Amino acid sequence: MKIKHIALAVSMLALSGTASGFDLGKLLEDSVNQELNKNQKTQPAQTTTSASQPSTATPPSKQKIDVNQLGFALFGDYTPEQESRIGKQISGDLLGAVPLVHDDKLQRYVNQIGNWVALQSGSKGRVWHFGVLDTEDINAFAAPGGYVFVTKGLYRRLNNEAELAGVLGHEIAHVTQRHHLKVLKQSSLIGALGQVAGSQVKSSDQAVQNLIGNGAEMLARGLDKNAEFEADRIGMVYAARAGYTPWGLPDVLQDLAALPAKDERTSLLYKTHPHPADRLTELGESVGGQFDAIQGKDLPGRFYRIR
Amino acid sequence: MKPDFIPAALLLLIATTSSALAASGTVLRTDKLYSQPSATASVAGTAAKGASVTVLAKQGGWLRVTAGKTTGWMRLLSVRVGAGGLSSSGLGDVVGAATTRSDPSRVVAVAGLRGLNEEDLKKATFNADELARLDKWTVTAAQSKSFASQAGLVAVQVPILVEPKPAQTPQSSWENN
Repeated sequence: MKIKHIALAVSMLALSGTASGFDLGKLLEDSVNQELNKNQKTQPAQTTTSASQPSTATPPSKQKIDVNQLGFALFGDYTPEQESRIGKQISGDLLGAVPLVHDDKLQRYVNQIGNWVALQSGSKGRVWHFGVLDTEDINAFAAPGGYVFVTKGLYRRLNNEAELAGVLGHEIAHVTQRHHLKVLKQSSLIGALGQVAGSQVKSSDQAVQNLIGNGAEMLARGLDKNAEFEADRIGMVYAARAGYTPWGLPDVLQDLAALPAKDERTSLLYKTHPHPADRLTELGESVGGQFDAIQGKDLPGRFYRIR
Repeated sequence: MKPDFIPAALLLLIATTSSALAASGTVLRTDKLYSQPSATASVAGTAAKGASVTVLAKQGGWLRVTAGKTTGWMRLLSVRVGAGGLSSSGLGDVVGAATTRSDPSRVVAVAGLRGLNEEDLKKATFNADELARLDKWTVTAAQSKSFASQAGLVAVQVPILVEPKPAQTPQSSWENN
């Protein structure tokens, strides 16, 4: 199954490679061979495919390939700039479904808090963007590179700055752990995506868009529950590192757990996240007494309230 | 009286006559009740997973609860506050109905407000203008540090939390609910 995907990606990229003058086929073939060799160590019975054998049809590469320019093709990491271009596209799609709240003070405030919390991640080279979405839906989203959104419906339920920091911390963790990129990488298109995202050409924005499909739809599909649990753990830690009480995120989860099950405002949240009670339980297993000595701030007084 | 069988009417009475913090709750993981909100305080008892409790007060990462005949402080993450019961079992709908009945303000809040749905997102097309507005509000690291220090926030070292051992969480998502 995996091999099929890889082979598909290779054939797609080989086509675009011819056009742009790089010998992508060769580069990817090497990557694929590496990956298959890895697999063969654990699965000796693996059948060989055309992709795993040196292909005589592909001429050997004459020029040195700038791996960075190719976006590390299939198996590497993206640069912060490449991540940002992917995230920008996804965010633009999301904003096509729901606009930002018209309140500069609110948006500026959320960016101040978000940046401060994101600083605690130790992440370098990212420009962070935070926005409050004009919908009563109760949810929050993240996109690669440093894009974080909270809905007005969720924001209204918050009681203090520590709760906001906890929510933002959870979303920031999705970015720093590259959760969405991992989802994208499961797709056979990812190598091609890396290539266009690495390109400096302006028109490649459209190419990024074509390859990720509808970014908003991708957000609607969500991540797996382990990614959500991990983001909860890291979100609590980021908020605590920022000087807030670590209990902001659990307090929000307690509030959500108490909402009626049939509330339409949470239907997408519950479709894409484990139930808040499960998230509390999972957090409890990790936290134990680890935050007992931490005295953080709540800051209810400074918390910006939506009119 | 077994806590599981406190009549709803009695719970309502408690909720309406005592402090706002008096609420029902369910123990998410078996844990101790301490005499003070501190793990170094004396242990007043233990509450088992699934037991019903009454939540009396909150302080940081602690909840003051009554479980059976024992009152003490439990860790916030060991209790689910509210009427939802244990986790995301099929009880959700029943419980949701019960919650709305006992909290009229919530019924008002829910009515007429619809959320984002998948269809909205699937139909979405790229909005460059909104994206440009987003750029306008970006702040620098220096600005956010300054804003933090205005409120007395100081960065502290906190180690990362490790993933719990597997088989702790029930397989569930609310998708089928």
